[in-house]
Amino acid sequence: MAIRMISGMISLLACASLVVAAPVLAHHSFAGEYDSTKPITLSGKVTKVEWTNPHARFYLDVKGDDGATTNWNLELASPNVLKRQGWSSTSLKEGDVVTVEGSLARSGAKMANARLVTLADGSRVFARAAADGGA
Amino acid sequence: MNSKLARCTPIAALVALCALSFQAFAQQTPAAATSPAGSGSASNPALGGPKPKGPAPRLANGKPDFSGVWQGGGPVGDIKDGLLPGEEIAMLPEAEKLMKGRLSSEDPEARCLPTGVPRVAPYPWRMLQAPAYGDAKILYILFEGNIHSYRQIFVDGRKHPDDLEATWYGHSIGHWEGDTLVVETVGFNDKFWFDFVGHPHTTQLKTVERYTRIDAATLENVITITDPGAYKKPFTVKFTATLRPGWDLMEYICNENNQDVEHLKGPAGL
Repeated sequence: MAIRMISGMISLLACASLVVAAPVLAHHSFAGEYDSTKPITLSGKVTKVEWTNPHARFYLDVKGDDGATTNWNLELASPNVLKRQGWSSTSLKEGDVVTVEGSLARSGAKMANARLVTLADGSRVFARAAADGGA
Repeated sequence: MNSKLARCTPIAALVALCALSFQAFAQQTPAAATSPAGSGSASNPALGGPKPKGPAPRLANGKPDFSGVWQGGGPVGDIKDGLLPGEEIAMLPEAEKLMKGRLSSEDPEARCLPTGVPRVAPYPWRMLQAPAYGDAKILYILFEGNIHSYRQIFVDGRKHPDDLEATWYGHSIGHWEGDTLVVETVGFNDKFWFDFVGHPHTTQLKTVERYTRIDAATLENVITITDPGAYKKPFTVKFTATLRPGWDLMEYICNENNQDVEHLKGPAGL
């Protein structure tokens, strides 16, 4: 029974890692561009979606504590990877209000890798998988 | 389907897949992915349709059929991950110095340039032969990414020409040894890297790839790297490509909106 419980926990952790922690491979070094030790959470309104290669991107207006608005550049997987997972260029739209969890860019730009994107109703778009072959 | 439901169904599919995870892990199947399609099913469109079982299919001439859309089969992160038991990468001092000085922003793949050989992008590729029936004269590898490009492997008995100019994919000639396609390539430029960590090579590079479709869903690639300009001795690595049933290649124009280079910082790495 103990073994079953342990294997169950491992299995659940593995499943969680598919969505949360997978450092998926892209056409560039992930660690060279994003700092996984600097997680960031951003909330705001989508101002633009770019369904382009090598990465789909979206831009987010985020209001700071001082009331100033900053536009953030959020990187997704390639459109093909997203498409094969069933997402499309209209899965996220200009005007959507989202919360993004990701890793901050090393360059100091207002830019991050978007690991989790949650809409206002709690649903998620562009959830990723470990073996999807692209980030 | 309304948009909210469409947005939710990938998560439902993930939950369903996680519920099936005990069985999935017991069967050593690939990791699950999210998809709106196939909710409630163990089938995973993001990784292709159900894997074919059984031995490699054969063409009418008896040769193994390598056609199909594949993913993998070469180094992505670090070529040493594919080292066969007893093999080692012994670099010459100049090559070691070159590798240590490489920056992640200099990686040609990050700059939307070709992977060269044997590196592959983490994107699918298709192998096909011409003519389509009978003995192949040329095998083509069509890459979805990192750039939308191709390799051609001549299997018509020709030799390497004497007047080769250095190129990203070199000049490839192939022959069959039993069920294994042996591809020898020379004539490379020294511009591409073997992986994200920046293993280098020179124009003296020669690769010998030995492709064997060990079963219907798996294409094994055993590669011997010989480059006296960068390595003290040849070394052999093995990588495995997986069939992606139901996938087609999709357009991938890397330079369309490549913002990565200016944001890549620090040494080459994973």
